[in-house]
Amino acid sequence: MNAAVATSVFGVFMVVTVALGLLAMRGRSRGSGDGGGLAEWSVGGRSLGTVFIWVLMAGEGYTSFSYLGAAGWGYNYGAPVLYVVAYMSCGYALGYVVGPMLWAYARKHGLVGITDMVAHRFGRPWLGALVAVLATVFLLPYIQLQITGMGVVVSTISYGAISLNQAYFIAFAVTTGFVVVSGLRGSAWVSVLKDILVIATLGFLALYVPIHYFDGYGPFLDRLVTEKSQWLTFPGHGDSGLGQAWFITTSFLNSLTVVIFPTTVAGYLGAKNADVLRRNAMWLPAYNVLLFVPMLLGMAALFVVPGLVGAESNLALFKLVVDSLPAWAVGVIGVAAALSSIVPMAVFMLVIGTMWGRSVLSLVPRWERRQKGVAQSVVVASGVIALVLTYTAPNTLVRLSLISYEGMAQLLPMVLLGLIWRRLTLLGAMSGLVVGVGLVCGFVFTENDPVWGVNAGIVALGANLVVALAVTYAGPRERDDRPDSEVLARDEIGVAEDGADAELSLAPAGTGH
Amino acid sequence: MLRRRPQLLWLLVPHVLYLGALPFVNPFLFVWLLGATLLTPVAVWLTRRGDRR
Repeated sequence: MNAAVATSVFGVFMVVTVALGLLAMRGRSRGSGDGGGLAEWSVGGRSLGTVFIWVLMAGEGYTSFSYLGAAGWGYNYGAPVLYVVAYMSCGYALGYVVGPMLWAYARKHGLVGITDMVAHRFGRPWLGALVAVLATVFLLPYIQLQITGMGVVVSTISYGAISLNQAYFIAFAVTTGFVVVSGLRGSAWVSVLKDILVIATLGFLALYVPIHYFDGYGPFLDRLVTEKSQWLTFPGHGDSGLGQAWFITTSFLNSLTVVIFPTTVAGYLGAKNADVLRRNAMWLPAYNVLLFVPMLLGMAALFVVPGLVGAESNLALFKLVVDSLPAWAVGVIGVAAALSSIVPMAVFMLVIGTMWGRSVLSLVPRWERRQKGVAQSVVVASGVIALVLTYTAPNTLVRLSLISYEGMAQLLPMVLLGLIWRRLTLLGAMSGLVVGVGLVCGFVFTENDPVWGVNAGIVALGANLVVALAVTYAGPRERDDRPDSEVLARDEIGVAEDGADAELSLAPAGTGH
Repeated sequence: MLRRRPQLLWLLVPHVLYLGALPFVNPFLFVWLLGATLLTPVAVWLTRRGDRR
């Protein structure tokens, strides 16, 4: 009976999700034969206002990790899990400067992603293709993680009635069902539903769990500080190696990386003007307060369901939910967690599709004029690859996911430094990137992360930067006759920002230079 | 950029609260970081106020 109720609630919401995603495009495809073109599909026609950008970017940051991993880390380690809050808040603050800068650059030159930007900056279409391939390697594991996360949630809230394998397919089908048609705008609409459910369910759980199990926050915190004080300071519980040096370096590295992360940039470029992004930089950190809830409830689970080990600890929060709430409430909380997988997964797939449609496959002349169709095909392909690997070789992508964030960080000199410093040469940026990615792979795959107590990615980024600068200064200046205003990005406060949109060129960025 | 927009220094506040102060701070840690989370929007608001003037 419980399974039927919870599964019915879940099923109804999944139908609503797909319908909402499809409704987002109502009226958008009229007037232009191709359904609005690549810019409409991939960056919402650069027309999303403050509310939509807020729910979209907050939605991207709130993934299945927030429900599963955050509670699991809280349960296993305690304090180190707070790095998620730290890097996201610092990243949103940095986004106040970087977001408008990238937005203005992309609109001025008709660009739709970071692969476009580096191709335009260095005047080399093949560089965009190279970055797209590299970014795909780093992003694909995230799709698989969301599929796996949603599978675990759906299987748990259906009391086992839906198997893991069935749940994986539902995750893929629901997401693909709307993102192929509706693109970023569909993701933003679904994010509205998701954020309402996330705020409501986490707000409820923040009050309900301590009262139900401990008679309130006072007794809960009393037990926490007297019985589990090791969880309350660094390095947390156990021999995790996650000390304060690791926390500081990881938070710093991730706060820099998140502002150039392809999914974040998709959110930036969807804004209708730069001021939307500045307003959002102010309101987005407030959403992070919600992240404290699963972390604290993960520690509450220490007293209620002790002895969870390994991957089972990721279900710390859901074990409390299933144990203490009626089936319909379990279903609603499960839907909130499932949508926390679907929205980020949709944006990951969208970004991979856009990168390949725009920067890789458009290099083939006959596909150049069908970038949107090609991008939509790649969206489905990326989802299918992640789904098939989830079934057949789950460990392959899990292993790759270990280097995802630290690998993406190695693009910082090429993307961010390159856009503000004209002197950086292509050879310098490429040399640094090769050294940085090589070091990250070396540290992570030999299980030396953290290295010397700090995040291995920041060591690699330091080497990356040193090599990029050394090669740039040692080598010849690049010959590029374009003026700085054509090549570099600026955050132009006070400059007119609501003018006509740049014409979206069909040629891949960098062509002709 | 900083000479033209010194208000951008406000954006360092979250970095100082979360990262710079951590060795000294190191449930007090949770309360400190919750405070930092609530102060981050204030730091961005102060930056924006400087930009609008």
